[in-house]
Amino acid sequence: MKKKDSIIKGIVNSVLPVILAFAFGAIIIAAIGESPLETYGVLIRKSLLTEKGFMNTLHYASPLILTGLAIAITFKANLYNMGVEGQMLLGGFFAGITGAYLNISNPFISKLICFLVAIICGMLFALIPAILKAKCNVNEMVVTLMLNYAVSKTLEFLTTGVFKDKSAGYVATPTIKEDVMFKRFGASRMTMFFVIAMIILVIMYFVMKKSKLGYEITAIGKNPEFAEATGMNVGKKIIIMMLISGALSGIAGAGWMLSDQFKYTLTFSANPGLGWDGMLIALLGGHSPIGILIAAIFYAALKTGSDSINMYTAVPKEIVAIIQGMIILFLAVKFIGDKTSVFGRFKKAKKEDA
Amino acid sequence: MNSMIQTVDLTKKFNDFVANDHINLDVKEQEIKCIVGENGAGKSTMMNMLYGLLQPTSGKILIRGKEVTLNSPVDAIANGIGMVHQHFKLVPSLTVYENILLGAEITQKKGGMKTPFIDQKEEIKRVEKLIQENHLELNATDKIEDISVGGRQRVEILKMLYRNVDILILDEPTAVLTPQEVDELIATLKNLKEQGKTIIVITHKLREVMELADSITVIKQGKVVGNVLKKDTSERELAQMMVGRDVVLTVNNERKQQIESEIMYKAENLTTVNDYGKEVVSDMSFEVHKGEILGIAGVEGNGQSELVKLMTGLMESTKGTVFFDGKDITNWWPEKLRKAGIGIIPEDRYAQGLCREMTVSDNCIAGYHGEKDVCKHGLFNKKTINAKRDKYIKEFDIRLGDVNGNIGNLSGGNAQKVIIARELSANPKLLIACQPTRGVDIGSIEFIHKQILKFRDAGNTVILISSELSEIMSLSDRVIVMYKGKISGEVSPKEVSMAAMGLLMAGIGKEEQDHEKER
Repeated sequence: MKKKDSIIKGIVNSVLPVILAFAFGAIIIAAIGESPLETYGVLIRKSLLTEKGFMNTLHYASPLILTGLAIAITFKANLYNMGVEGQMLLGGFFAGITGAYLNISNPFISKLICFLVAIICGMLFALIPAILKAKCNVNEMVVTLMLNYAVSKTLEFLTTGVFKDKSAGYVATPTIKEDVMFKRFGASRMTMFFVIAMIILVIMYFVMKKSKLGYEITAIGKNPEFAEATGMNVGKKIIIMMLISGALSGIAGAGWMLSDQFKYTLTFSANPGLGWDGMLIALLGGHSPIGILIAAIFYAALKTGSDSINMYTAVPKEIVAIIQGMIILFLAVKFIGDKTSVFGRFKKAKKEDA
Repeated sequence: MNSMIQTVDLTKKFNDFVANDHINLDVKEQEIKCIVGENGAGKSTMMNMLYGLLQPTSGKILIRGKEVTLNSPVDAIANGIGMVHQHFKLVPSLTVYENILLGAEITQKKGGMKTPFIDQKEEIKRVEKLIQENHLELNATDKIEDISVGGRQRVEILKMLYRNVDILILDEPTAVLTPQEVDELIATLKNLKEQGKTIIVITHKLREVMELADSITVIKQGKVVGNVLKKDTSERELAQMMVGRDVVLTVNNERKQQIESEIMYKAENLTTVNDYGKEVVSDMSFEVHKGEILGIAGVEGNGQSELVKLMTGLMESTKGTVFFDGKDITNWWPEKLRKAGIGIIPEDRYAQGLCREMTVSDNCIAGYHGEKDVCKHGLFNKKTINAKRDKYIKEFDIRLGDVNGNIGNLSGGNAQKVIIARELSANPKLLIACQPTRGVDIGSIEFIHKQILKFRDAGNTVILISSELSEIMSLSDRVIVMYKGKISGEVSPKEVSMAAMGLLMAGIGKEEQDHEKER
C-alpha cells in the first residue's frame, strides 16, 4: 500500500510538470492564433507514430539516456556532478580526433579505441572534482560547474587552432573516417549507438537496483551517517561514483560523435547541451533507470517534433524550447512531498488558520 | 516572594508515551531554578511547552498568577519568556549586533519617514548599551564566527534580553563550555538575577547546580520527584534522587561459568577531542575479559557518546591504543571492526544503526552487505537477503506490518530488534552495545536483555554503555563509571550501593568518599 502510494506520488511529481508545461504552451499557441491541438498532434505524430520519426527520436534519445544516467548515479547519493556536459564534450572531442587520425582498417577496433579514449577522458576529468571532494571536502558542485566552462573554452581553442580542419569553410576538426562512423539503420538516423546505450542502461539498472554499489549509493544519499557507521568508505565511494559518471558522459560524447556529428564543431552539443538536458531527464525520471529511459525518449520526441512543427504548422519551432523551459520551471516545484499527503497538507493549513 | 511562573498538572503525551505527567512547577520571582534529571526524563519537553514550541495535552501555565496560552515562541516572548537553546541559532558570518537584532532591525528615519535601510549606528549603540548594562564581555562588531563558544552563548542571552524577557530558560547551557567559560556563565546568570530576571536552567551537572541554584526540581520519567532549596540539600542527595529508581528488572543474571582470564578488549590511554576542540575522552584505560559484560555508567554527556564513537570507528583518537583479540585495532574503520568480529549496537539507532527510508531487508544486511552469502560479484541475491530477513523476524520476534516496507514504519522496540538480530547473527566475539534499550517498550527491553545475557553465556564479551543505571547494574559483571571523560571509579554491581554509584556519577571518586567518611 505504502509502496504503491510512493510510486503514484513519483509519477504525479514527474507528469504534472509536463502537463502544466504543455498547457502553458497551448495558451501561447492559441495566442498567436494557431490551434494547440493540431500543433501538438503534429508534434506527437511525427516523432512517435511514424517509423522513421520514432527511430529518429530514439537516435536523439541515445546520448540523453547516458548523460541522464551519469547525472542520476551521483545525484542519488546527494553528490552533484554538474560537470557531465564538460566530461561529455571532452569525450566527444577526443573520440572525434582519434576517429579522424587513427589508421586502423578494422572498423570495430577503431570504434572501440575511440570509445576507450572518450571514457578515459571523461573519467580523468571527473577525477579532479572527485579527489577534491573526497580528500579536501571541496564543494563538488562549484568545481564541476566551473570546469565545464574551462573545457568548453579549451576545446574551442583547440578546434580553431591545433586541430582545425583547413579544408572546411567553418570552425571544425577534421572529419572522422567513413568506416569509423556508425552505419545508419535504413532511412532514419538511428545507429548501433542506440543499442549500446540500451545495453548500458540495462547494466546500470542492475548496478543501481541490485548491486552492492547501488545499495551503498542509496545509503549514502539517504543517510550518510548510517552509511559510514555501517562501514562504507564514503570518500572512496564518491570517487567511484564520479568515475562512473565521467565514463558514462564520455561514452555519450563519443557515441554522439560517431553516430551523428562526424566532426567537432562549436555547436557539437547544441543548446543548452546534452549534459544539461541529461540533468533535466534525470530529474524527470526520478533518478531511476526506467524513468530516465522514458524521459529521454519524451525529450528526444520534442526535439524531432519541433522540426515537424516548423514544417507543417505556422507555429515557430521555438515553442518547444518554451515547453522545455516550462518543464524545468515546474519541476523545481515539488507538488507532493515525500511524507505529506495532499489532503494532510490542506488539513494542516486549515488548522493553522483557525 | 511571588510566583513568576507556575505550571499546574502540566501533561504532555506523545501518542501513548507520557513525556510529562502532571508536572507542578513553581518558580519564584528573581530566583535561579535548576531542573535536573536524566536524559529522556522530560526536561526538554517541559521547557518546550513553556517556550511555546509544544502545546500541553492538559494542564495550565500561569505567569504571575495569570493563565496563558503559548502557541509559539512569539507568544512566549510576548509573555516575557526567552529561551537559549543548547545548539545556538546564530548566523556565523554576521556580527554580534546583527545577530541580536535579526528580525527586529532598526531602520533609518528621514524626516519622520521610514526608509528600508538599516540604521547600523543606532543598532551598534543600542547593543553596546545592552552589553554594558549587563556587564558582559562582548564586542558588538565582532563576527560570530570569530568569537568563542562562551561568547556565542552570551549573544544568545543578549538576543533574549533585547526582547525584554523577564524569564530566561537555558537548556543544558554548560554542555559545550570549557570550565572557565562555565564559571563566567554562572557569574553572568547571577548578575542577571540581581537585575531582576528569573532564570530556569536545565542541566544534569550537579556541581554547577550547587553553585548556581536557589531552588532545584528533580524530574524522573516525566514526574517531579523532588523540590528542594539549595540550602537544604547536597550534591549527594540530588544524585540519589536522580538515579534512585523503583523499576526492578526481572532478568535472571546468574553466571553459568567463570569469566576467563584471557583479555578480549583493551584500551590504553584513549583520548579524543570533539568538534569544538574540547577534550571529551581523556586517558581512558580499561580491559574486558572473555565472557564478561563490562558496564560503562555515568550521567549522560560525560564522554560516553564519544567513547562509543571511538570504539566503533566513527571518531579518531588523538592518543592511545585499542587492542582486540590480540590485534591493534586503533582507529579502524567500522567495516574492518565488524569483519574482525565486533558487533555494534550504535547509540542513535536512526542515525547510525538504520536508514529509515530503506526497506527492512536492506537494513537487515547493512554493515554485512559485502558478505559472500548475500553478495556475489557485487550483485545481491535478493532471495537469501529476504530469507535472512524472515529468519530475523521469526527468531527475534520482530513485529511489523509490512515485510516489504521501510524500516521507518516499525516501532522503536522492533527497529532496535532488527539491529540486534543483524549484529548478533553475524556471530561476533565482542558486542559493543550502546543504550540498547533507549526508547524501547518494556517487553522489548526484557527480550533485549535476555539476548545480551545469552550472548555472554555463550562465552562472548560485551561492553555495555548505558545511562540506565538499572540496566548496567543488572546486566554487568563489572562496572566503570565515567565522569568528565575520565573513569571516576570501578565497582562490582553486586556490592556497590546506589548511593555510592550516584556519587561516582557526580564525579566524587572513591578516595574522596572514604575521606569524607573519616571526617
